[in-house]
Amino acid sequence: MSSKQASAEVKRKLAAGPLSLADRFFFGTTTAAAYFAFVLVILILAFLLVQSFPIIQRQGFDFVLGNIWNPDQGIYQLGPMLWGSLLIAIFGIVIATPMAVALAYLIVFLLPKRPATIATTLVDLLAALPSVVIGLWGLFTFGPTAAGWAETLNKYLGFIPLFSVQSSENGFFRSPFIASWIVAVMIIPIITSVTREIFSQLDRDLVNGALALGGSRLSVFRRVIFPTSAGGVVGGVLLGLGRAIGETVAIFYVLNLSLDINWSNLLEPRGGAIASWILAKFGESSPEEKQALMAAGLVLFVVTLIINFLASFIVNRSQPWRKN
Amino acid sequence: MSESLQDSIKPWLRASKSLRPMILLVSIIPLPAVMISAYLLKIDPTMSFLTIFFPIQALGAAIIGYRAYGKRGIGDALLVVIVTFLSIFVMVMLLSVLWSVIFQGFQAMSFTFLSQNNVYVSTTTSLEYGGVGHAILGTLLVVAITTLLALPLGIAIAIYLTQSQSKVRGLVRTLTQAISGLPSVVAGLFILSVIAIDPLFQRSGLAGSLALFPLMLPTIARVAEEALKLVPVDLRYAALALGAPNYRVFFQVILPAAKSGLITALLLGLARVVGETAPLILTLNANNGTNWNPFEGGLATLPTYIYGYLGSNYTNSQSRAWGAALILLILVGILFGLARILSRSKSLKSKAKK
Repeated sequence: MSSKQASAEVKRKLAAGPLSLADRFFFGTTTAAAYFAFVLVILILAFLLVQSFPIIQRQGFDFVLGNIWNPDQGIYQLGPMLWGSLLIAIFGIVIATPMAVALAYLIVFLLPKRPATIATTLVDLLAALPSVVIGLWGLFTFGPTAAGWAETLNKYLGFIPLFSVQSSENGFFRSPFIASWIVAVMIIPIITSVTREIFSQLDRDLVNGALALGGSRLSVFRRVIFPTSAGGVVGGVLLGLGRAIGETVAIFYVLNLSLDINWSNLLEPRGGAIASWILAKFGESSPEEKQALMAAGLVLFVVTLIINFLASFIVNRSQPWRKN
Repeated sequence: MSESLQDSIKPWLRASKSLRPMILLVSIIPLPAVMISAYLLKIDPTMSFLTIFFPIQALGAAIIGYRAYGKRGIGDALLVVIVTFLSIFVMVMLLSVLWSVIFQGFQAMSFTFLSQNNVYVSTTTSLEYGGVGHAILGTLLVVAITTLLALPLGIAIAIYLTQSQSKVRGLVRTLTQAISGLPSVVAGLFILSVIAIDPLFQRSGLAGSLALFPLMLPTIARVAEEALKLVPVDLRYAALALGAPNYRVFFQVILPAAKSGLITALLLGLARVVGETAPLILTLNANNGTNWNPFEGGLATLPTYIYGYLGSNYTNSQSRAWGAALILLILVGILFGLARILSRSKSLKSKAKK
């Protein structure tokens, strides 16, 4: 009997999507903007590829493996720079990770609220410092001090291949060691903010429960905090790695760029970094060499894109609370 | 005795009273030791902190930890000491950056330095002549154009990520994050490759702005997304249930509620690109004079100005670089501080509502 009433005519169509023209326009615009992010990446890839294709085709894999850069003969190979970037980035990570994790632990678990806020603000400020300012500081203030550290390190631990140098006559400035420190200063805030976020979202009951069961701070850190947050920290470290590999200006001033490949002598004043190499060679380059530099940029872009993709995937997965 | 007994039955006390003087002692004793050893042995002071101060303090803390809690106290004490030491190390480096820029920058600072341009200035010209006026103008022009492009687009991406029901949102978010790690030099090379292909497009202020665009976009998109997420979803549902179309819900309900957050996104985006150097070096021709036209001719900006003077061996040139760095730092500081204040007042408001 009521079925007739229930089947009364529906005046407004129920739909999941937007109906009016204005709404369609609204969502259409935002969707277009979102897809523009894809377009942007593809555009960058395409333009760089078109420009650098002749060079990459001519050099093949030697482009990333060989170590000759001779514009007169038309040979452009990037091996020392690529390896140098990795070396600096990896050592930078080795320096930055313990400091960043320590800072995040201090902020989240040890400091009272107010100092913690101040520390967080300072770390964010460090992240906002332009790289050219860090470069300036590295060249005039930090560099000479760190060169002193390098000298001491070489004096007492020189028997380790990592810290040995061929001769100490060239001094210890402009080495991968100092470049790594500069890179570390720039990625510490990145790793800290990711780690801090993950630490602060940790279930406090878990931590307090472990403490109540008689755990010490160290055992709680090792058994509770570390296993639950390790994944996210790795993501943060990867984000830092991507940034470290792409760092340009700051490294440019504190590193002696050299095609003579430096495998692992951190204190030797010669090294490589792709991004800085592009900057260094750009000024007086011929059109062909510019194409080679764009090929170098393409390599850099692909490497950092892969690392960043991986990093944001890991970070997002270890932060389920960020999903809507 | 009775006091220590009382302390021992209060396990929640972090450190009992009898231990406090010892903790103080251990924290202070290494300091003169470092000073004396640095003076006598002629060790570099920063080095002696690492090699003498830190081990003594760690040892002292471990002993106290052992006396207080037995074996497990050692690990705890070491953890706290190491964490504090490393954190202070980072803070010292940060303060060192700020201090050296402020200290050295002030020596170049004057009204002339702020207002004049770089024409007729050589590496040895006295600091009384010439300045960064043209570079400040250039930075403002370049960054303004970038903002005009990146702000609407970034907010549109944030709207897409928060308001739509699309299934590829996760992918867009990941991609935006991945772009935020784009090396700045690659952004410059991208514009350079466009210039190489299209002869009508020249190295100019506009090229510089376009090179900064991919760097600013993800920052704005991410922070704006966070801001839009903070608006209670009930507000949106209520407005929709009242029959408002989606675009009016956004402009009349969500936008006013998220206004300060979106301004924060703008400020952080500005802070991100205002100091970018590499893309501008690749896409801008340097210029010593004042240029009001960002579409033609060379344009000086603060970062490229610093870059130009940084490698010089002359004291005056270095002072100019420091001075420009100080201005850049002040700009970043203002942007950053404003963003802080805005986001803080917002969180206070939301607390008051609760």
